[in-house]
Amino acid sequence: MLNAIERTLEVALTGCRRIGQIAIRKLDIGGFALSHCDDEGCDDLKVFCSAPEDAIELSKFDDAGNYRPLKTAPNLRHDWRLELATLEELSCAIDHFYPGRLAVFVAWKTSQLRTTPLRETLDRQSGMYRVAAKISDEQIDNVVGNFCRSDGGCLRTILWKRNKRGTVASTKLPREKFDPLHDQTGHKERCIPLLCQEPCNLLVNECRRAVKGE
Amino acid sequence: MISKSNSALLIVGHGSTVNPDSSAPTLAHAAEIRRRKLFAEVGCAFWKEESSLRDAIFLFDPASIREVYVVPNFISEGYFAQTVIPRELELNGRLTKRSSGQIWKYCDPVGNHSLVTKLLLKRAEEVAQDADPAETSLLIVAHGTDLNENSAVAAKREADKIRSLGKYAAVLNAYMEESPLVSDWQKLTRTTNVVVVPFFISDGLHSYEDIPVLLGITKEGSTRLRSPERPTTRQAMTSRVARGEVFRRNPYKVDDRSLFYASSIGTDPGFADIIIEQAAKFDSESSLAG
Repeated sequence: MLNAIERTLEVALTGCRRIGQIAIRKLDIGGFALSHCDDEGCDDLKVFCSAPEDAIELSKFDDAGNYRPLKTAPNLRHDWRLELATLEELSCAIDHFYPGRLAVFVAWKTSQLRTTPLRETLDRQSGMYRVAAKISDEQIDNVVGNFCRSDGGCLRTILWKRNKRGTVASTKLPREKFDPLHDQTGHKERCIPLLCQEPCNLLVNECRRAVKGE
Repeated sequence: MISKSNSALLIVGHGSTVNPDSSAPTLAHAAEIRRRKLFAEVGCAFWKEESSLRDAIFLFDPASIREVYVVPNFISEGYFAQTVIPRELELNGRLTKRSSGQIWKYCDPVGNHSLVTKLLLKRAEEVAQDADPAETSLLIVAHGTDLNENSAVAAKREADKIRSLGKYAAVLNAYMEESPLVSDWQKLTRTTNVVVVPFFISDGLHSYEDIPVLLGITKEGSTRLRSPERPTTRQAMTSRVARGEVFRRNPYKVDDRSLFYASSIGTDPGFADIIIEQAAKFDSESSLAG
C-alpha cells in the first residue's frame, strides 16, 4: 500500500516530470529513471541501479568534487542515471536527493504545513547561534537575498516571512522566489516545488556570521 | 511492543556542513532498519544537514503513522539530546501528543545503551586480531571539554566497564583536549600493544586527522583544536578514501610499540540494533512505570 508521500508523488508525476534539477522519466518496462535535467537525452551516462541509497553518494558532491552541505543548492552533479524499480524506491531516492522536501510538499498540499518566520527561528536559538537574533533588517535583506537566491544559492521556494507581521523575507529577491508554481531552475517547466517552510540551519549560521562581521 | 503498521522511527544525528562523512552512519543505520521492515517508515533528521529537525515534524503522515519513536544517534546525553532536539522537534518531554493525535516518543541516545560496551570490545578485537589482550592497553578516546556533551563522562564510564572485565592489561579513557591527553599515550600505557578506539558517532576530521596527529602516527593534517582557523569546505573535502587510509595501515610501529588505530565506534553496523533497542526500551520502561 502506498503511503501519503508516494500517493502524492504518483499524482504529481501525471502532470510534471521534474523536481529541482532532477528529471524523472517513466520507463516502458516499468520503473523510473532519474538524471540531472541537463543530461536528458544523453546516452553515455553512468548507470546506477542497485538501490535508492545510491542517491546519497550522487547528491553528496558537486561536479568539482566539493561537498554539498545544502542539497537544494543548484549544483547537483552531472553524468549519472539512476534506475529505480518502484514508486517506493523513487520516493526514497528523491528523499535522499532532496531530504524532507516531498514530505513538506505533501503537508502543503493537504494544508497541514506551518511556516515559521525568520525572526522566530532566530529568537529560539541557543549556544553559539543565540547572537544571530541581533541581525538588523538591512542585514537580513542582504543575507537572505544572497544566500537563498535561486541563481547560485538555493532552489527552494520560500514560504516563510521575515517576522510575524508578514514582512517579506528579503526585498532583494524577485517575486517568483515565493511562488510554488515557478520553476526555480529557470527552465520554465512544470515541476514539483522544493518548498521551504522555515529558514534552515545554514541560513541561521549566515545570519550569525553577519552579526559577528565574519 | 512496536506495531510496525502504524509506527515510524526517526533517527536524529548531528550532521555537518564541512564533513561529508558525518551523516553516513546515521543514513546507513536507517537503511538497514528500513530493510528489516520493523517500522512502517524510517526517517532521519539532522541539526546541520537535511532533513532538518524542523522538517522532521512533517515527515510522517498522522493519518497512517500514529506513533513516532525518536532516537538520538548521539554518543552522550548532553546539550543536543537535552536541549536542541526537544526544542526543534517541539517535544514536551518523553511523550508528546500532537494536535493530530500522533504520539512522539523521545528515546534515550544510543550512547547510553549497554550494547555500546560490547561493540567497543568487538571493534578492539577486530582491529588488533593478533594482539594478546593481556599484553594490550585499550584507549577509548573522546573529545573532552566540548559543549556540555558529557562525552568525556561516557568514555570514562565505558573504560570503567571494560576494565572491570579484566580482559585487557589496561583500559584507559583519554581525551583530545583535557587530561588524560591522548597525545600522552606513550606515558599512559606500558604494554607492547596499544589499541585506540575513537568514541565518536562518525568519522571526520577528529578521527581522520586530529587524533592520528596527536598519536604521532601521521604528520600531515590539521591540528585544529581551539584554532581560530576553521577548515574551509575544500580543506574538509580531502579525499575520503585517502583519509580512510589511516585505519588500514595497522599496526603502526612507534619506538618498540605496536599501535592499532580503529575507526569511530559509531560506524559499527551494530548501532542499528542499538537504535531499535532504544525504541523498544522506551515502551518496556513505560509499561513498567505505568
